[in-house]
Amino acid sequence: MNDASEKIGVCIERGKVNKSSPYPGDMAGQDGADELTVSALEWGVTPDKILSACNIGMQRIGEKFGRNEVFVPELLMSAKAMNAVMTHLKPFFQSGNVKAKGKFVIGTVAGDLHDIGKNLVAMVVEGNGWEVIDLGVDVKPSKFISAVKENSGCIVGLSALLTTTMVNMAKTVSEIKAVYPGTKIIVGGAPLTYDKAVKMGADGYSPDPQGTVEFLNKNLL
Amino acid sequence: MSLKYLPVDVEKEIYEVEISFKDLSITRKEIEHDIGYSGISAPEHFSGIIDAVLSRAADKCGIRAGYRIIDIQKKEDANHGLLLDGVFFSPDKIIYPQIKKAERAAMFAVTIGREMELWSGELFRRGEILMGYMADAAASSIVENITDLLHDHIRSRMLESEMKITNRYSPGYCNWNVSEQHLLFSLLPKNFCGISLTESSLMLPVKSVSGIIGIGKNVRYSKYNCNRCAVKDCTYRTRRRPGEKAVVLK
Repeated sequence: MNDASEKIGVCIERGKVNKSSPYPGDMAGQDGADELTVSALEWGVTPDKILSACNIGMQRIGEKFGRNEVFVPELLMSAKAMNAVMTHLKPFFQSGNVKAKGKFVIGTVAGDLHDIGKNLVAMVVEGNGWEVIDLGVDVKPSKFISAVKENSGCIVGLSALLTTTMVNMAKTVSEIKAVYPGTKIIVGGAPLTYDKAVKMGADGYSPDPQGTVEFLNKNLL
Repeated sequence: MSLKYLPVDVEKEIYEVEISFKDLSITRKEIEHDIGYSGISAPEHFSGIIDAVLSRAADKCGIRAGYRIIDIQKKEDANHGLLLDGVFFSPDKIIYPQIKKAERAAMFAVTIGREMELWSGELFRRGEILMGYMADAAASSIVENITDLLHDHIRSRMLESEMKITNRYSPGYCNWNVSEQHLLFSLLPKNFCGISLTESSLMLPVKSVSGIIGIGKNVRYSKYNCNRCAVKDCTYRTRRRPGEKAVVLK
């Protein structure tokens, strides 16, 4: 049983989606995350155990990304493999048998239409067992506030690529904090630094998806 | 390469340059380099996807490029400022020293249109996230490649009158406030090359580049002084060609 979940974890780390996927080359023709999850569930491996193995796989690839050993494409393949697992685990989430670690509301702030970095963070966070509520791009503070209201106890992630929209990011942090002072907010994006994040009143800053996951896990309720 | 250019406004020295996809030298290796595989091979699967994206990119790029040549009316050392046709720019202390010996400036804009961007978005929505990412990365590399061609074209034209040119600098980079994008476009015809600006200075189509190039007898082209800039993950840091190193300022 352990072997089955460990293999799924390896598929997540290596980005092996399913048997027909040619990536990675050295795993061509082997079962991927998709087939292994179906088999594991049939053998009685619990969804929690599968999810835990996935989290380990995502954490490993995230750490490699943080060390510049792999790049965005590898991370995307891992997210895709994770997605294949989640397709089979979704019914267990819906029935309440498996619980997400928490809720993460994410969006690109008003005035900014860039979404690839934000999507990448969303995929990695989801792969680490969080429920992600993606508000999209050009998101006004009021929409974030509504999402916080609808998703009690959530953590918020704000993304911006432009230096001009950092002003909107600061405004969004301030408006959310004014209504929900206890809500934790993490910010990220090319023009940001730790100092700028602190200055705008955010609780966390991460230059990469794995840092966001670490922040979320530290702030588990 | 000699590119054909057409006047948009002769009096104001505004031109559009004809560039087609086949003029570009974009390669799979260049895109691999731009997304991180610098000095190492990208996995074969990824290279195949880049090839697939490039094979369709020609049909999806609506290339437009143009520029305006303007006399620099005044320079202000204290403010690191330049006055161009009554518009005052503050390109800050990284860019200003490179431009201050210039007598004229080329304000340029380049775009590949919206199709690549829409295609990438559609691929992401369909769950083809890797190809969506590669399409976005290819679009960024393509628009930079076109800007390289425009830069070379301006260099060739200026050489005809024995003038040299500087590097190109864009609002939002090298500490030049991106909000001055509005000032830059105020010097160009409305909707120049099909580009418009959002309130937050984002160019639409997103895959566009704008900027300034200094022109003069005593200016020079130099390597990017990336170590003077605080933005560690800037496009131009990562876009350095293999073997090209950032200048370390002592």
